[in-house]
Amino acid sequence: MTGPKHPGRTSIRNLNNFLVEDIVSASDEELLAEFREGGGDPKAEAERVRALFEASLVKTNKSRLAAARAGAAANRNTARLRPAWSAHDARRRLRAILSQPGIPSRLTMAARKEDELSDADVLGMLDDLRDLGLLPEDDDLA
Amino acid sequence: MNPASAANVLNRDEVVSAIRLLSTADLIRLRKVADRYARGRIEADDLLQEAFARALDTRTCPAHVSVVKFLAEAMRSIADGMADKAENRLVLVPVAKTGGEEDEAFNVHDPSPDSETHLLESEAADKIRSALLELFADDPVARDIVEGTMEGMEATELRELTGLDLKGFATKRRLIRRRIDNAFPEGWKQ
Repeated sequence: MTGPKHPGRTSIRNLNNFLVEDIVSASDEELLAEFREGGGDPKAEAERVRALFEASLVKTNKSRLAAARAGAAANRNTARLRPAWSAHDARRRLRAILSQPGIPSRLTMAARKEDELSDADVLGMLDDLRDLGLLPEDDDLA
Repeated sequence: MNPASAANVLNRDEVVSAIRLLSTADLIRLRKVADRYARGRIEADDLLQEAFARALDTRTCPAHVSVVKFLAEAMRSIADGMADKAENRLVLVPVAKTGGEEDEAFNVHDPSPDSETHLLESEAADKIRSALLELFADDPVARDIVEGTMEGMEATELRELTGLDLKGFATKRRLIRRRIDNAFPEGWKQ
């Protein structure tokens, strides 16, 4: 059997945990009185701890916001990545999609004169359909 | 997370509300816990902030656990983690070159304390232990509790050892903490 690698540290950890149990279970009155005895101002110290919390909250909110923005940007970039379709393929796909049931009628109306749309317009519509979740995976239309 | 387990933990907004509603006494409690766990490795304020950050983002607070206990446990975990990290850090040490043209070779440092470090740590631990036991020379029950705690005994075992009931044990624990706080205001320095 082997003992702890650092028995001295382990014994201090044990003691710290024991002392913290006492701090956690002490009554409010005892704790406040003790803090005053040590020359502390409980209200001022409590405000300091509150300020630390609010600072942590702001920091974590910023991190979450930054992560959400990065995620949204990554999604946008992924959505905009389209295969290198030829103009012919793109038009074929657009027609195939718009002929499927369940496609909103305003989209089909806009695309009725598909032959009058520029290639860029067709690709743009495919992007929009992808953003709306209406663009099937490549092979689904094949 | 399924709905049943989600109902058993506080969500982020609930954690924020619970912390904002803490009383002055509970905030002082957190301060004292931070002071106790921070000694030596990290500033108490930094430990508190890290515990708050983890409570908000990475740790899950069970609904039946008080937020104070939850944050105290977070501080313990952070402090222990820092100590373990320092203990297990891989250190690359250059190996003497033997005349070849190849880049300098490195060996991975064995994180186990060498005999000298072990001796120094043991000596320091022995000094602290002696100082602590000396502190309670006039109170054999308190001394037994301190000694037993350092050896890893649980509260129930300590009560059995000393014959104290719950209330008597709590009173003795309070005496021990206050005496240690007064004798070691800056931590475990000799």
